[in-house]
Amino acid sequence: MLLFSCPNCGPRNETEFHYGGQAHVAYPEHPEELSDREWAEYLFYRENPKGLFAERWVHSAGCRKWFNMVRDTVSYDIKAVYRMGEAPPVELAAAAATQAATNHNAPEGAKP
Amino acid sequence: MTTEHLPEHPDFLWRNPDPKKSYDAVIVGGGGHGLATAYFLAKNHGMTNIAILEKGWLAGGNMARNTTIIRSNYLWDESAAIYEHALKLWEILPEELEYDFLFSQRGVMNLAHTLGDVRESVRRVGANQLNGVDAEWLDPKQVKELCPILNISDNIRYPVMGATYQPRAGIAKHDHVAWAFARKCDELGVDIIQNCEVTGFIKDGNRVTGVQTSRGTINTEKVGLAAAGHSSVLAELAGFRLPIQSHPLQALVSELHEPVHPTVVMSNHVHVYVSQAHKGELVMGAGVDSYNGYGQRGSFHVIEEQMAAAVELFPIFARAHVLRTWGGIVDTTMDASPIVGTTPVENMFVNCGWGTGGFKGTPAAGLTFAHTIATGAPHELNKPFSLERFETGALIDEHGAAAVAH
Amino acid sequence: MVNTAENTQVRALRRSPAAHLWEDFTRGSVEGSHGVALHEVPFQTMVGIRVDPLSEAGVRIAAVTGGLPVRCGEVAAGPDGVSVLWLSPDEFLAVAPDDGGRADLVEALTAALGADAGQVVDLSSNRTTLELSGPSAREVLEKSCAADLHPRAFAAGTAITTEVGKIPVLLWKSGPDTFRLFPRASFADYLGRWLLDGMREFAAAGNPAWH
Repeated sequence: MLLFSCPNCGPRNETEFHYGGQAHVAYPEHPEELSDREWAEYLFYRENPKGLFAERWVHSAGCRKWFNMVRDTVSYDIKAVYRMGEAPPVELAAAAATQAATNHNAPEGAKP
Repeated sequence: MTTEHLPEHPDFLWRNPDPKKSYDAVIVGGGGHGLATAYFLAKNHGMTNIAILEKGWLAGGNMARNTTIIRSNYLWDESAAIYEHALKLWEILPEELEYDFLFSQRGVMNLAHTLGDVRESVRRVGANQLNGVDAEWLDPKQVKELCPILNISDNIRYPVMGATYQPRAGIAKHDHVAWAFARKCDELGVDIIQNCEVTGFIKDGNRVTGVQTSRGTINTEKVGLAAAGHSSVLAELAGFRLPIQSHPLQALVSELHEPVHPTVVMSNHVHVYVSQAHKGELVMGAGVDSYNGYGQRGSFHVIEEQMAAAVELFPIFARAHVLRTWGGIVDTTMDASPIVGTTPVENMFVNCGWGTGGFKGTPAAGLTFAHTIATGAPHELNKPFSLERFETGALIDEHGAAAVAH
Repeated sequence: MVNTAENTQVRALRRSPAAHLWEDFTRGSVEGSHGVALHEVPFQTMVGIRVDPLSEAGVRIAAVTGGLPVRCGEVAAGPDGVSVLWLSPDEFLAVAPDDGGRADLVEALTAALGADAGQVVDLSSNRTTLELSGPSAREVLEKSCAADLHPRAFAAGTAITTEVGKIPVLLWKSGPDTFRLFPRASFADYLGRWLLDGMREFAAAGNPAWH
């Protein structure tokens, strides 16, 4: 059983929370301008790292507020908890960076 | 069941070779899918100068952790086609591989507990029948006849309102399946290389030309990724992304019991699936943890909820003991269907996203992935399961038939 | 509820969600140094409030209730038996007893919010109140509530939103040995029976009702 520190309510069992997947995925500014590939990236592609991962959780059985968390997906160690709209601690910023942002995408013209 | 004779496990079924400098093709992942792929590459396409690279030991990942259920009663035409093809292969493979891996076609029931379940299940039975998949709808009495230990009374939280039933479905002994494929692969000249972790890929432009491993660099014409829960990690090494999320999925066994459970019972709604293994232990699957994880373990509350549901459905289980629980890492997609096909990297192919369907799909995954690797283009059966479907929108939503919510 | 003649008639017709368990609650309650008692406190007035406590509307609402709690666990006790429980930074639950409480609470809060951003909703029939009390009350709760109920973390006067026996509840430690649980009405039967089951072991020492 994991113990999460809700920014509003303090430490509670993981059963009080629901998962919201990768954090810091912004809605595209101009969705109508996206190619099918870019739209697919937004809809279906999320990071899946073995290691540090910035993700969203909601304290559904408590204050019902969303928050962010950086967690190690192997050890399940929780490295940081921070509120929505906040950036992760500087030393963990890499966990919140996406492959998409660091240009690991399909090369131009490549068809998967 | 317990009276059946288990084949002796011979000392050596395959060689333990050192990696060669180069191969025509390299399969990353020595689980069921990697082994089946190598087998069909050698048998159907004459590619025998190939290697399977396994970072741990043979079939020690999800192949050792699944609940061995085999069925093909999926909803959509594309899924029914590939899983039914797998089931037909399961039926002939013991003879073809000359190894009795105890494929037991004892039938699989998928219980319905709500009116919504009933409607969806009856629809699925109809869809299955149109696709030539043996499927029946059972009322609670028929359910009870097939599995007398099931509690079909209506005073439980989620009463049994009926079930879909696939008589040709069943279970197989997972480790024997791996050994059967491994022995045949080895006979055909495939190098099965264990303790060999892939640490990078060598590319010429956008074309893969080699693999860096913990046991040195291996040159190869083609690479097939078959690493289930770790597919995203490999894809990142290769420089492309997969629409995959890895989640822990748990299972457990009881101690050995006399035969009490003649079939396989699954319930999507209360998250239980149970069969009795050949030796006599009750094998049960639980749900996935909601969060991404590579820890090969899961949350205790998932097991707790699963046991509560199991005891309500099978009151007799209250007297059994949990002997062991474990977790595997399932690679899930947004539409609960696999990805088998080409990748943005030339000469690199991927077979992943099987989620909870990996074991049952093993022979068809191997057959179609081998075809894709050998010819550079997908087989008819895996054409719909391309990475491209996430762009075209031609998703194959099998969340209902996948039987474990994810 | 305002005590008009019409309302008095309606009040006579009310059924609380755990009324069918009252006899069981009495039989299952245990006296003595390891005792634990359970009963329902029916028909409390409950008003859901959503407002930014620092806004003008928040200040007006706080004037009605006698203050708003500022952090998780806090309960603001106001006049006329009105208490306000903290649900989240911008969500609160005002609770008042059925009789003797402030009869125009909903109306007063609605007026205080006015046309500003926020919400005042009469939620009186949404939840009921089960009161678990006695020296063993905490032990009964700890069987199926994962929150830390030790007095150093959960002193009398604290209230949190959590789960008891998988049921979402508001859990308010209203006295040194007294807990008030607010389950939703549809969970009252389950939670009532669940707590009774948890109380049984404390009856074994001496309550003849269970033997």
